[in-house]
Amino acid sequence: MTTATATATPPTRVGRLVLVLVLWKSFFFLAAANYQRMQNVGFATCMLPALRRLYRGAELRAAVERHLEFFNSHPYMACAVLGAAVRMEEDIAAGTASPERVRAFKRTMMGPLAALGDGFFWTSLKPFGAAWAIYGVLYDQLWAPVAFLVLYNALHLGVRIFGIFRGYRVAEQVFIDLNRMRLTRLSDWAHIVTGAALGLIAARQAELARMGGLALGDGLEPFLLGTLIMISLLCLKRQLPMLALLYVFAGGCILFVVGLQAIFPILGS
Amino acid sequence: MTVDAVTLGLDLAVIALIGGGLSLDRRGAFQFMISQPLVAVPLLGLCLGLPVEGMKLGALVQLLWMASSLFGANVPHNETVAGLAIGGMYFLAVRHGEPIAPGVLGAASILLGAPLCLLGRWAEIQSDRANMLLARRADTTVRGEHPEHIARLPALGLVRTFLLGSGLVTGGAFAGFGLLLALHTPLTTVTLGAALQAVMVYVVPAVGLGVALSHLRRRRGLVLAGVSFVAALIFLHTGGAG
Repeated sequence: MTTATATATPPTRVGRLVLVLVLWKSFFFLAAANYQRMQNVGFATCMLPALRRLYRGAELRAAVERHLEFFNSHPYMACAVLGAAVRMEEDIAAGTASPERVRAFKRTMMGPLAALGDGFFWTSLKPFGAAWAIYGVLYDQLWAPVAFLVLYNALHLGVRIFGIFRGYRVAEQVFIDLNRMRLTRLSDWAHIVTGAALGLIAARQAELARMGGLALGDGLEPFLLGTLIMISLLCLKRQLPMLALLYVFAGGCILFVVGLQAIFPILGS
Repeated sequence: MTVDAVTLGLDLAVIALIGGGLSLDRRGAFQFMISQPLVAVPLLGLCLGLPVEGMKLGALVQLLWMASSLFGANVPHNETVAGLAIGGMYFLAVRHGEPIAPGVLGAASILLGAPLCLLGRWAEIQSDRANMLLARRADTTVRGEHPEHIARLPALGLVRTFLLGSGLVTGGAFAGFGLLLALHTPLTTVTLGAALQAVMVYVVPAVGLGVALSHLRRRRGLVLAGVSFVAALIFLHTGGAG
């Protein structure tokens, strides 16, 4: 009886709890990111709860080894690959698929999903949420940073959970489902609406400068001029180094005021 | 001037904990974006009893690093380390230093703390390099008796990220605080004070907005920025703000 239990074949299906464990581990996906094989350790450790359920001994070793291959994608979107890979591992354990299937799937999917995730989350949703939250803060809305977190993480967690469970259900077809979310289109709209928020921030900042009553004249003109010059420069040549801009303009401003004061002592004693 | 060593030590411990914890959120774990300066600086301010100041400072710091994004193997400027160090030195100066006008202190903190984003990036690159050892260890572990032991390896990466982030933020905040104390006399002169006020009111937001606008991918976004700017100015100047 004891021998029979010890040598029992592992189940060929993982339960919902295992998927929840995979989801939990996916939050540490980048913990061991490295230049050699990028997120390979993260991917393998996320897959571990499922692999331990499906395999024993040498088979487990081989399964973990195939997930230690090079992997580089977006941490949120990688959940879709994880979910689909769990389903494929079930098929491999049941003998209905070859290990090459999961390898090929990962190689094919990681690039497009990385582009989709980077474009939507990092370069669109984050600046969009942050810009509107900054606008709120400028009007003393103390809840604005919390609203940013809620908006961002509702979508972030939604994509993670959807990726794991939908990926598990439909395997390779998950990319079609993710494509239906029209993240690229949403990303374009986010860029446009972020522009509106930045314009409003500029106007509010100009207003605050005017109300601040600095002893530098009206206050509005230098800010307007500086902003316009900066915008023109940056739009002509994108990605100018921020630190260089900051120190050049701050240094210029300090020298200007100090020099002005030396010639015309207008700032009081 | 005397600094209460116990309170200062406690404040530094809070800065170290938040610095380490939020460095994890930035790269190692969760990525809930609590590590963005917009949230991180007010959180630090809240813990040190200055939430409103933290909110204002965090918003400006966020603008400066709006274009900082992780892409594949690219490691951008570390806005979390810079933001928290800027916030840390500002709050320490308010709590333990002689009074300085908020605008002057904010500008000085930003100018002193901004280069820490480069140090933070360097630390992240070193951390990724050190993680190559973890990848090699994973290869050896998987060939051994217990391949499931690879599950422990990410924890080592997390500990390293925490310690690096915590050390950089605390060191940066403390060094900045020391410099602010040393510069107290020049910072409180009328001329330099007015110049730094101008930096805080004009230069920092203008550079931040310029950087954020350069990040927009769609030309329609730039057009909308111009239109909303002019419309809002007209609205504010015609008494719309109430």
